[in-house]
Amino acid sequence: MEGQVIANAFQNAYWGFPIALYFWLVGASAGSFVISTLGWVFGVKKYKPLALFASNTAIVALLIVPVLLIIDAGKPYRFFHLFIFAHWSAPMVWGSFLIMTYPIAMGFYSFFVHKENQLWARRLGILAIVLALSTHWYTGVVMQLNPARLPNHTSVAPLLFLTGAYVSGIGLLILCLWLRNFLVTVTARVSPELMADMARLMLYGIVFDLFLLGNEFLQMTYGTGEERTILYEVLLGVFRWPYLYIEVVWGLLLPLIILVIPRIRRSLNGVLVAAFMTATGVYGMRIWWVMAAQYYQGHF
Amino acid sequence: MTDRLYGMGGVSSGKGKPGRKRYAMAIDLRRCTGCNACTAACKTHFDVPLGEWRIWVMETEVGKYPDTKRYVLPRLCNQCDDPPCIPVCPTQATFKHPDGFVLQRYNRCIGCRACMVACPYNARHLLPDHRRDKRNPRNVADKCDFCVVRVTRGLAPLCVTSCTGGALIFGDINDPESEVARTVRDNKVFTLRPELGTAPQVYYIGLNESVADPEFAFLNRSAQLRERYATFKRNSEVGGEMAGNIDESDMGFFGLVRQGLHNFGTFFAEAPKKFFRGLY
Repeated sequence: MEGQVIANAFQNAYWGFPIALYFWLVGASAGSFVISTLGWVFGVKKYKPLALFASNTAIVALLIVPVLLIIDAGKPYRFFHLFIFAHWSAPMVWGSFLIMTYPIAMGFYSFFVHKENQLWARRLGILAIVLALSTHWYTGVVMQLNPARLPNHTSVAPLLFLTGAYVSGIGLLILCLWLRNFLVTVTARVSPELMADMARLMLYGIVFDLFLLGNEFLQMTYGTGEERTILYEVLLGVFRWPYLYIEVVWGLLLPLIILVIPRIRRSLNGVLVAAFMTATGVYGMRIWWVMAAQYYQGHF
Repeated sequence: MTDRLYGMGGVSSGKGKPGRKRYAMAIDLRRCTGCNACTAACKTHFDVPLGEWRIWVMETEVGKYPDTKRYVLPRLCNQCDDPPCIPVCPTQATFKHPDGFVLQRYNRCIGCRACMVACPYNARHLLPDHRRDKRNPRNVADKCDFCVVRVTRGLAPLCVTSCTGGALIFGDINDPESEVARTVRDNKVFTLRPELGTAPQVYYIGLNESVADPEFAFLNRSAQLRERYATFKRNSEVGGEMAGNIDESDMGFFGLVRQGLHNFGTFFAEAPKKFFRGLY
């Protein structure tokens, strides 16, 4: 029906860029920690030397998170209400407990890796990897369990978040290792071959991420009118830059092209460019994922 | 299932507590003139800050000249029987009263805004730090509470009292003789977004399906309204703190970067103040 809304209330977007940054940091932390555990938990020996650095990178990324969250709350000094009035049906409570325990487990894991205690490093590594995946799973669930926010209300959400975490974490870690190489002795440096191998792991994540995105695209294409409207906004409308250009083209397609060409994949420059693109591209996903539904529904 | 369909159900079945009251509101849109007396009364009484609303009137023009019709749609918290805002609240600050009100405990709320993201009706807002009376709650979520304080003292909600056309009808829907029960029983009533299964307790008579559709509201904003949205979002104090407002007219790459930086700027500029305003 033709017509126009001529007066209405103005609604704010309730979660914005800082929450998107929080999702990105938690994801990068989880992805980085996955690489850390490859050597000590899953027995891939060539990854053992970078386990400690990867774990510490994950801890640093995660330490910023509570600061962002507490600043974002209207009443920062009431953060402990999350624990004393915990409402167990709220995903945010699950996340609060996970965010508290995950860095502690990582800290102990780092300690035992530093001491080269294989047994306890493995035990703590298993615990921490479960907590790492759960922490990032919960960020997807926080968005998923809002039936009114259509593009978010899908069971693919946690998987999309986890895959994004995996690729952005590896990308960030590759960049940090490259920077670290300038600061450490020659013997302690990580070889370009190992970085290329990490890029190969990242490539698998990129392919899976594209597969999930394709599924989501299909669902929205065949979806309700609201879903198609949002699809238009993220593809060609207001969110075209975060979604189409930053996430899909910059963050996934271009790195995919770089990493499937063997000659470029084996060169350090190619790996670094792909890592940078993927790590930053995932932030585009976080932006549109957090804000698109609120933008759309904010006009109702 | 039937109560999820527009115009088919009347009161949702199997809800409410036996032996308790179940407060609900019927809005007869045939009698609403769009005078905004409800909005004014509510804003004045509750000191609702600029740019936030507990009840507001959406106004829509449908059709093409000369066959046009103007619709008004008062909107407020629907006091749902299955409110999506309650399970996501991490501190149990929001709860369903046995008599049907969905209420907010200001002293528990941490201002995380999960309830606002969950609400399909945009019926919740964050109270800013600047209130006319500093004793009023600040920096926490707020919403329409059906004037629970007045109702428990035997008075009707302010919007109902102030309605010039008598369009708002309030009462205990469990009492078959109450005006609201009779109105809902004798008329074809509609609810907003019934497909979500929230079982809203605000019933509309004469609701236009298009006007009640979020997609219609999104796609058919008038040019003037779009401009006013952009101005509002650029300048909103609360929106600045939440750092998610974007201006649709400036969403190229540089626009996105500029708006991202602006949002982060306001977010971090407000951050230190948060720790010194109204401790705890």
